Amino acid sequence: MAASIADSLRFEPCEFPASLVELRREVREFLRQELGSYSVVKRSQSWEAYDAEFSAKLGAKGWIGMTLPTAYGGHGRSAFERYVVVEECLVAGAPTAFHWVADRQSGPLIVRYATEAQKQEIIPKITAGKACFAIGMSEPNSGSDLASLRSRAERTDNGWLVNGTKIWTSNAHRADYMIALFRTDSDPDKKHAALSQFVIDLSQVKGITPRPIQNLAGGRNFNEVSFVDVELPPEALIGTEGEGWKQVTEELAYERSGPERYLSCFFLLRQLVDAIKDTASAATLARLGGQIAWATTLRNMSLSIAAKLHAGEDPLLAAAVVKDLGCQFEQGLPGLAQELCELEPTLEGCGTDYQQVLGSLVQLAPSFSLRGGTPEIMHGIIAKGMGIR
Amino acid sequence: MNEMRSILEESVNRLFADELDWDALTRIEQQGWPASLWEQVCAQGIDRVLASEAAGGMAGSWGDVYPLLRACGRYAVPLPIAEANLCHWLARQAHAELPAGVPGLVSQEVFVDSTHVTVTDARVPWGSQAQTLVVVHAGELLITATSGLEITREDNIGRDPRDHVSGRAEILSRSPLAVPADTVHLLGALIRSAQIAGGAAAALDLAVQYASEREQFGRPLSKFQAIQHHLADLAGLVASADAIVMSACEVFDQRGIAGAGRDARFEIAVAKCRTSEAVEKITRLSHQIHGAIGFTYEYGLHFVSRRLWAWRAEFGGSSEWGEYLGRAAVEQGGDGLWPLITD
Ligand SMILES: Cc1cc2nc3c(=O)[nH]c(=O)nc-3n(C[C@H](O)[C@H](O)[C@H](O)COP(=O)(O)OP(=O)(O)OC[C@H]3O[C@@H](n4cnc5c(N)ncnc54)[C@H](O)[C@@H]3O)c2cc1C
Repeated sequence: MAASIADSLRFEPCEFPASLVELRREVREFLRQELGSYSVVKRSQSWEAYDAEFSAKLGAKGWIGMTLPTAYGGHGRSAFERYVVVEECLVAGAPTAFHWVADRQSGPLIVRYATEAQKQEIIPKITAGKACFAIGMSEPNSGSDLASLRSRAERTDNGWLVNGTKIWTSNAHRADYMIALFRTDSDPDKKHAALSQFVIDLSQVKGITPRPIQNLAGGRNFNEVSFVDVELPPEALIGTEGEGWKQVTEELAYERSGPERYLSCFFLLRQLVDAIKDTASAATLARLGGQIAWATTLRNMSLSIAAKLHAGEDPLLAAAVVKDLGCQFEQGLPGLAQELCELEPTLEGCGTDYQQVLGSLVQLAPSFSLRGGTPEIMHGIIAKGMGIR
Repeated sequence: MNEMRSILEESVNRLFADELDWDALTRIEQQGWPASLWEQVCAQGIDRVLASEAAGGMAGSWGDVYPLLRACGRYAVPLPIAEANLCHWLARQAHAELPAGVPGLVSQEVFVDSTHVTVTDARVPWGSQAQTLVVVHAGELLITATSGLEITREDNIGRDPRDHVSGRAEILSRSPLAVPADTVHLLGALIRSAQIAGGAAAALDLAVQYASEREQFGRPLSKFQAIQHHLADLAGLVASADAIVMSACEVFDQRGIAGAGRDARFEIAVAKCRTSEAVEKITRLSHQIHGAIGFTYEYGLHFVSRRLWAWRAEFGGSSEWGEYLGRAAVEQGGDGLWPLITD
């Protein structure tokens, strides 16, 4: 028989080390105390909700940048310990947007590629929960086809000169740093190999103008960011010139398989359980149970990838599968909730808690299949992994 | 994966691949019980991976037997291998001896007196081949003879026997067995989930292979983006079915179903709910990719499709297990939902 695709795509179960039970308990208790005063709408938005004060408190607990080396103010803890903190934050509806990007990808990137001085300067701020990072990748004409991006960084005597426009850059209007991807070589034959990554201290440079773009729900999280003759110091280049694409894709398995890929609506699921618990028919319970089965399955798969990453593998295909399935699951939940419980979605401050959470997430759900790569693109990656593209 | 698992996996896959091509499956559907293949299976100990070593088994765990159960699904194996292993596992727990021959697994309610077990229209897989009935009842494992029972043949849509068995069966042995009353139903759900995961793997592999070979509009189907989407979707469903059943087997080995607190009951419910629900889309997509050829008897996709449709309903489908999970959730309340999944 030909090589089996089914056999090449397996998610071996991974049990958390028992020692993490205590950490989980501690995190839960902390979040229970901290989050009581936040509005349910804010909590429903979790990793989209920006709150510098909360992030500083989490940082003070030692729960940001947990896996980063202690030499730079990190905590040298395991990927599983970080996983516990992240999933507990998501489920509790903790507002983690301020430190989210720094904790998930910018911190590890800096540790891997930045200069000693940059590490000494930036990592302690990240772990303290005091540095907010933005990711400048997408451009007006380059979304899924990211490698077609046009913003340019040209080498000068003093460093780099940047011109161009980024778009959908989350938190650019309030971030401390941006990690951006620019074209550093104009050779048209080098589509991917002409890109480089930069770390920009937004408090130190002139010529960068973020313009918040209102989203459909009224929120202002993402931005159009223009770069006009922006001068960057030489050390802003992070990693190797021309290897920006490779560096970006290295982090993708982490980005795509994390618990945020299926838990975005878990806060709603919790509320839904309480909203229907006294009246649910057997059929309704079965639909609800089906979602719990999905959540459990996705968690197992996400954890299995965490274990693979921990073991030094690079499960890009498996991560795309989890992202794709997780997205289907979380994006479907608001519609399902609406079906199972005949209550209208409401704006913040009106109706019950459940109605407000529903109102918030119904409106956010379309973004779940955009941020971090669309299902169509994930399917292309999976097809490639199966050897048919 | 440990060594025993990989050896077992390799040897059963080889045996089934050699013995159960589509011609063989067709022949077996026409001629019935493949006695010589069953003998081969027994000679290799495949029917008793879960049996104690004293009973000639491997004293395997459910994690060990999963590759076998998955292979049974993958090759549409028309033999009661999964059921036999479950019977042997029960016998091992009860320190009972299971006589040679095909054991008939009874999952329905029965009536027991001092000498006989009375069964009323039980659906016993391969009941007409069974030399014994294996029954869990009121804290006991009962093994009975089958002589004198009234057995009416009926196949499920997979064409595997699910025979009707009624009458008074003489008790050959009874042993105390401290397991919950619904153990057979739960473990039945686990083995069917594992078979679904295997059948799903076969459907994916066939679909990928077919899409790569069949050409339309001058190129292989697999080069069309619409077909790639179907295949990617299918791959995700197949991988998730496999993942959750593997996990359910491991959790069962670690925590069983008789303990207090969170045991494998939850994970098995999740596995059967998910796999049963996934069957619809898995069969729909794999058939769509195949076009009309997949709707023929000659092309063997149907050997797994028909079994997938049968297995999703047996030992409770997505509604039964979904309702179980939904009820557990509302009993815990919203705040208890996440701990239900993690703790
Ligand atoms: C809330 C939110 C936050 C974001 N934050 C950031 C951020 O911080 N930084 C950042 O850089 N970006 C960010 N993004 C942008 C995000 O990464 C892009 O939206 C995403 O990559 C898709 O690009 P696009 O929106 O231009 O859509 P397009 O690429 O134009 O795609 C539109 C549609 O066409 C489909 N499509 C495109 N190409 C193909 C193909 N080859 N085959 C089949 N279908 C195709 C897509 O799947 C999609 O359905 C954010 C987006 C959202 C919604």
